Amino acid sequence: MSEPSPSVVMVEDEKQIRRFVRAALEGEGCRVFEAENGKQGLIEAATRKPELVILDLGLPDLDGVEFIRDLRTWSTVPILILSARSTENDKIIALDAGADDYLTKPFGVGELLARVRALLRRQGKGNEANPLVTFGDVEVDLANRVVRRHGEVIRLTQIEYRLLGLLLASPGKVLTHRYLLREVWGPTFIESNHYLRIYVGHLRHKLEVDPAQPKHILTETGVGYRFQA
Amino acid sequence: MRGNGLGKIFTPMGHPNRGYLWVLLACAVTTAIAAPLAQYLDLANIVMLFLLTVLLMAARFGRGPAVLAAFVSVALFDFFFVPPQLSFTVNDAQYLVTFSVMLAVALVTGQLTAGLRQQAEMASLKEQQTRALYEMARELAGALTSQQVSEIVQRFLQMEFDLDAVLLLPDENGNLQPIFVVPEGLRVEQQFALIAFEQGQPVEDYTLTGYGYGAGYFPLKAPVSVRGVLVFVPNSQNTQAVREHKPLLATLASLVAIAVERLHYAEVAQSTQLQVVSERLRSSILSALSHDLRTPLTALVGLADSLALSRPPLHAEALDMAEAIREQALRLSGLVGNLLDMARLHAGRIALRKEWQPLEEVIGASIQLLGRALVNHQIQVTLAKDMPLLEFDAVLIERVFCNLLENAAKYAPAGSLIEISGSLNGESVEVSVCDQGQGFPPDKLSALFEMFARGVPESATPGVGLGLAICRAIIEAHGGLIAATNRAAGGACVTFSLPMGTPPRIELELDLENRSSA
Repeated sequence: MSEPSPSVVMVEDEKQIRRFVRAALEGEGCRVFEAENGKQGLIEAATRKPELVILDLGLPDLDGVEFIRDLRTWSTVPILILSARSTENDKIIALDAGADDYLTKPFGVGELLARVRALLRRQGKGNEANPLVTFGDVEVDLANRVVRRHGEVIRLTQIEYRLLGLLLASPGKVLTHRYLLREVWGPTFIESNHYLRIYVGHLRHKLEVDPAQPKHILTETGVGYRFQA
Repeated sequence: MRGNGLGKIFTPMGHPNRGYLWVLLACAVTTAIAAPLAQYLDLANIVMLFLLTVLLMAARFGRGPAVLAAFVSVALFDFFFVPPQLSFTVNDAQYLVTFSVMLAVALVTGQLTAGLRQQAEMASLKEQQTRALYEMARELAGALTSQQVSEIVQRFLQMEFDLDAVLLLPDENGNLQPIFVVPEGLRVEQQFALIAFEQGQPVEDYTLTGYGYGAGYFPLKAPVSVRGVLVFVPNSQNTQAVREHKPLLATLASLVAIAVERLHYAEVAQSTQLQVVSERLRSSILSALSHDLRTPLTALVGLADSLALSRPPLHAEALDMAEAIREQALRLSGLVGNLLDMARLHAGRIALRKEWQPLEEVIGASIQLLGRALVNHQIQVTLAKDMPLLEFDAVLIERVFCNLLENAAKYAPAGSLIEISGSLNGESVEVSVCDQGQGFPPDKLSALFEMFARGVPESATPGVGLGLAICRAIIEAHGGLIAATNRAAGGACVTFSLPMGTPPRIELELDLENRSSA
């Protein structure tokens, strides 16, 4: 592809991590700008206009969530979180604040690149939504609201379809329980996690080969769901 | 008498008989003054002087002396002033009317005056007591310990009522204990105190008389519960003192009850805050530790990956080494994770984030999370068709599945089948993870879930034996049981149960097809 090389701003205080992430990203043809702390990171993000921001949640000077909120006031650039914190709550807060995805430390170069590619691809596509999405043996015709599996029409309920639509709209992005409940059922259902879980189960039974080992509608335990084509 | 108690008000001159002497003296003086005036004044006006005396005596000394004054005045008037003088005989029968009217007027005015006087005295006494009670309530509001409460109450009662008080509060075992050592001579009956405490009604022992008797046991009824017992013991011989002031003492007891309850809740709030602070400290230490250990491990894994991907490519042996570094770093990370989890699970109460959810989902998530560790094995999930939603902490149960699957993958030969099955069993759901490996050593089946226990000590397969201990801690926190068995056909099985509970009602939408009828 002859696209201009995408630029990435990486905010991470640990030098050795910056080093290998930079090596991995440059291997992918990205231009990488490093920042050691949150303030510098915000400046880099403002001046470089990157296609992606990689952010360590545990910064020395600024809470990662503050960084995200600040950045989100003026930019929609995808944000990939690196987190060594072990509680799911931190991730949920970061995602609800506007982060797109997260990686839990330690992570390998392979996982990192997979996430980066997914986020850059989504960024590149912009608004030209493809009316036809395919994954596995399923084909979703968004324009006509038809779902086919092996060429046969699959009947989905209104709620199932709305849920599927949300997942398909953000491939690779982790959508929190809270977000999905609010978007599908409305704000009064935000505490009704079991509804969401049941409907995701229905979707898996209708669309996945083995619902107990899903390949496309993935669970991020304690956080939310992610669609992967 | 030590205090200026009520009794004093009714006998203002100290001894009650003193009043009668004063009456006799006053009547004598009136006679002496009136005698020389008799030749200038009508007898009717002499009567007025005597009536004035009766009125003054009534105002000064109360009812009894007033009656005496009335009779003595009539007698003196008859003897000294009504002709024939110096004799009780009366010449003119109309003086009998004078005597009757004089006596009647003297008695009535005397009684009225004495009554008014008594009411005024009662009112001022009440006012004084109310002010004292108010002062005490204000002091109670500032009390910081139950000792202070007890002191304040004792001081007040001795000043105002000449009573002693003992404050009894329940200790940790529910036994009523006095806040201070009960003074010598005061008889506080535990039995009575207990009855008052349990029934929430005052108990009195007025039937017994003598010093130290006549005590009243008042329960401290606070808004939430009975907080203890306040015992009032008369200081003097007046064993009726408690009975006389019962309404006021009941008010006092309720003030003390509120003070004691306030202290109780202040204590509870303080200890809760301490607990929260220590909990927060513990969790921040664990998360700092987790961060500090994971950061270098991340660098290690990432740099090993970078080595493997570097261009021009390394030769085969170096690639192998880079891969080995990566594997070891990940293993170390797993151990660190286990240790931190164990610390967290053992640190006290586990805060479960329970939600109703299908088991299927958490199994899928675990398989997905382990990813590469399971590539050499086939996994089969069989769940009962009517499996209900279960209430559990998804992150922790995922941990259980990960540990069990990881074990199975570690000990069972490559290419073999790992089976996960779930079935209903009465009030609970039973889940097992079984492999086709060698199974557990039969003599160690029960010891497996101990910390640092390993099936085969010093075996070449890595691990320190925390995995199953973590599983047990998590399952037990959910109210379930976990056990290990060996299958007859060979292979290890770990089975755990989770209580079924009552899942929330779900209202499914009508099965309308999503397509709008275009």
